[in-house]
Amino acid sequence: MFAGMFQRMFRRERKATDFDAEIQSHIRLEEERLREQGLTPAEAHNRACRAFGNVTHAQERFHESRRWLFFDHFSQDVRFALRMLRKSPAFTAIAALTLALGIGANTAIFSMVDSLFLRPSPVAHAEQLTTLAFQRVGGDYDSIFSYSDFQDIRNQSAEVFSQVAASMDLRGMDGLSVNGKQEPIWTSYVSGNFFETMGLKPALGNFIEPASGKSVDDAPVLVLGYTYWKTHFAADPNVIGKSVLINGHPVTIIGVAPQGFHSISTFLDMQGYMSFGMASVTADASKDFFTSRKPAGITIYAHLKPGVTLSAAQSALSVIGRRLSSQYPLDDNWKSLLAYSLGPLSPYDDPSGPAIIMLMCVLFLFLTGLVLLLACLNVANLLLARASAREREMAVRAAVGAARSRLVRQLLTESLLLALLGCAGGIAFGRLGSQWLGSLNLNTTMPFVLDFQFDWRVFLYALAAAVLTGIVVGIIPALRATRVNLNDILHKSGRTSTARRQRARSVLVIAQVGGSLMLLIVAGLFVRSLQQAEHLDLGFDPHHVLNFTLDAHEAGYNDAQGRDFLQNLLSRVRALPGIETASLAAVVPMSFSGNDEELKIQGYEPPKNQPAATADFNAVSPDYFRTMRMPILRGRAILDSDTQTSAHVAVINEAMAKEFWPSSDPIGRQFMSINDVQHPTGSTAVVEHLSITVVGIVKNGRVVNFRRDFRPYMYLPLAQKYETPVTLQVRTSLPLASLNPEVLGLVHSLSASMPVFNIQTMTDALDTLPGLLLYQIGAALAASLGLLGLALAAVGIYGVVSCTASQRTHEIGIRLALGAQRVDILRMVLGQGFRIVGIGVLAGVLAAVAIARLVGNFLSGVSPLDPLTYLSASLLLAAIALFACYIPARRAMRVDPMVALRYE
Amino acid sequence: MSTQSQNDQDRLELLQGTLDLLILRTLILGSQHGQGIARAIQQTSDEELLVEHGALYPALQRLEERGWISAKWGTSANNRKARFYSLTSAGRKQLARETSKWNRLTAAIGRILESQEG
Repeated sequence: MFAGMFQRMFRRERKATDFDAEIQSHIRLEEERLREQGLTPAEAHNRACRAFGNVTHAQERFHESRRWLFFDHFSQDVRFALRMLRKSPAFTAIAALTLALGIGANTAIFSMVDSLFLRPSPVAHAEQLTTLAFQRVGGDYDSIFSYSDFQDIRNQSAEVFSQVAASMDLRGMDGLSVNGKQEPIWTSYVSGNFFETMGLKPALGNFIEPASGKSVDDAPVLVLGYTYWKTHFAADPNVIGKSVLINGHPVTIIGVAPQGFHSISTFLDMQGYMSFGMASVTADASKDFFTSRKPAGITIYAHLKPGVTLSAAQSALSVIGRRLSSQYPLDDNWKSLLAYSLGPLSPYDDPSGPAIIMLMCVLFLFLTGLVLLLACLNVANLLLARASAREREMAVRAAVGAARSRLVRQLLTESLLLALLGCAGGIAFGRLGSQWLGSLNLNTTMPFVLDFQFDWRVFLYALAAAVLTGIVVGIIPALRATRVNLNDILHKSGRTSTARRQRARSVLVIAQVGGSLMLLIVAGLFVRSLQQAEHLDLGFDPHHVLNFTLDAHEAGYNDAQGRDFLQNLLSRVRALPGIETASLAAVVPMSFSGNDEELKIQGYEPPKNQPAATADFNAVSPDYFRTMRMPILRGRAILDSDTQTSAHVAVINEAMAKEFWPSSDPIGRQFMSINDVQHPTGSTAVVEHLSITVVGIVKNGRVVNFRRDFRPYMYLPLAQKYETPVTLQVRTSLPLASLNPEVLGLVHSLSASMPVFNIQTMTDALDTLPGLLLYQIGAALAASLGLLGLALAAVGIYGVVSCTASQRTHEIGIRLALGAQRVDILRMVLGQGFRIVGIGVLAGVLAAVAIARLVGNFLSGVSPLDPLTYLSASLLLAAIALFACYIPARRAMRVDPMVALRYE
Repeated sequence: MSTQSQNDQDRLELLQGTLDLLILRTLILGSQHGQGIARAIQQTSDEELLVEHGALYPALQRLEERGWISAKWGTSANNRKARFYSLTSAGRKQLARETSKWNRLTAAIGRILESQEG
């Protein structure tokens, strides 16, 4: 039966001419038969025809029986619509371009949302994959475990998880050298079963042995990330088996990860994978990596057993969590152990991480949606104007028997075609937009994925936007155009335009003014916020400072060698001519990197919702505060006398002093640092509690991000807290570019293989995501959307007012003939415009207030209800709108009454 | 056959849906063109049935689309081009189904009518 259906579906359509030929043949056969019976040819013909009946009726029934009737009509509609669009190329071009801009803006933003949040992870059975997190006794969440935690959880959860794997990402860069050439590489250290758990197959070669990742004796092997293999090895298939150096240690490349697999996070592109065993060989993981219970930055992934629900796994984990934290109360101070589904956003993440980008995407999807709506309104307005011009055409077609549904379909086909034209243009614009977004320099060495490829989801989105657009744009004019009283139109001249249609167009313009005002206000807020941020007192002076980031670890130096090298470099750089000061720091302000530490402070009780006292910190060399021009308010700075063996000291910021010692002088006070990873004597499994003395207070500086409130921050001597990579910062009165080769030459004369990167001025270094970049992107995007909205609104208002004015030419002529002053006419036409713009502005302000909270997330130094922005945006829009009204109003004023009365 | 035209009013109008059955039944004797089918129905029914020839063709078209009959152009006995229809195997099955349905229907209606007469 299905075969028959299939066959029929694809059978060639029988032509109408064939059917006609058959009828003719029938009549001839019948004639012949009748003639044989003795009738005359004429009689035979008449009789045959009579017996046949109505030929046209038979033909019609044949025609209607055809399956493609709908498509017949459709192709008719399309051909007619194409003809109509070709007939008015200016209208078509403007309408399609308007829609293309709207659809393009949406497509560009959506491509970002798609690649960051919607594109499924390339892992197999992603829906069964979970990530683990824990809640600390104090209440905050974290997902950073130790290797021992991983092992214990893996061994105790076999009932609910089929696989438990782990990885350690973003510990810092490694240096990969092939044939003497060194390149930075971001490697992930993983458990042996990592790739198996993700269900991945290598693009080339093999993955790490599933049995490895349990001890330092692992084979020194490396799996390359797909993109890295393409960019750094030119996709060479012979790379398998090649021996390279990672941080000076020989490793063998055994495989390439599959294309499309960046990392578990959609934001990062990990460039290489090695087993955990290598973490303490090639990387700086402590010797007790496999035994310590100190959190070591390990993320745990667990694959649910078939049939096990997340909540079942959850209850099993609670038991394990309680057991482990009672077994190791000091280290695993967990309140609970949790599992959550793998996704681009972790519910327990820092809200300033991916979540803020997601929120920004939501805001901009909304704003671009608004732009598209404005574009739709504009085109709908144009179509309404055309609809009045085509009123007679529609009436005539209805009069000769076209069904209303058929007319609506015809008009909708026209608007859909327009929208599809716009869609094609929009995809082109969208590509440009997403290429711009993808080419943004995030000013970081971190391997962020900014590859906003257009996949089928983006195309589908653009197409859906276009179809929706076509319907939104076409349905009102189509319904209006066909819901007319035939008699009215056919009997009167084209002068009559129903008041109802005018009202519809006015409402459209009000929506346009309101929408574009809202866009303008948001744009204004973003621009003001960027200005505020740029001129904010940072608490340090970024001008005339040049940064060079060095990684002694990548060059294969151990801690002692690294310290020597840096000490040596610093004294040489200070001797260069034109150098005011030079210093080293582990963290550059506004960069992605940052550390925080848990502190124990006598007499300080953390608030209920906070687990413990914590402070962000930077490790710096002497002279740091002079280089950054950060004033020491009390006590002293970090000095050369603060060495590895002297008493541990810290310089703290005002916020830290106020937070932890609100009523006493912090200078000379001591506190304990708990999570101290580095210990001078090395390999002990006991967590070291360092006692640190406060020696100075430095002015608050905006070093983490542009947010308003200052958090506790402390500066530790680099000599007592060795970190790598570090950034050499040089303050000079010379032009910064001239210093560049000199310092680089000096570095390489001391160590030829030392990687130097992020060579930039401190002012440029502020353009990062936590720094100014988000404000810059926001301002650029919002400003372009605001201008687009403004242009659309101006064109829309002009179109409506001038169209109304010209339709009232006759009336204006009568008024003038009856003695109205020209000023009265001007006032009348302008008055209409004023009313519409006034209502629109009010609507726009209210709409902007409604989304103020959302916008406020991205602003700094500006209230989302900033009256100045609201006022200036409203005035700007009103001025442009009124100017758009004034031109047609002036034209109306100049109407010659005689001409107007003779009109038509 | 000069009586044909006067008899037109006395003939029976076809019941809804029975034309398909008659066409299928006619074709079981072998392939035939449209005019031949019309003739055959009239002759076999002793000129009792009125078949408007024009109604025949949409019906043939419908049966063809359902796959119960197939058609191809050929030449008639007196050397005229004509479109010949023949039953497909699906058509044969359909005919059997429809015939038994028809028999049950007429039998049932007949019983009702007889019981009321009696």
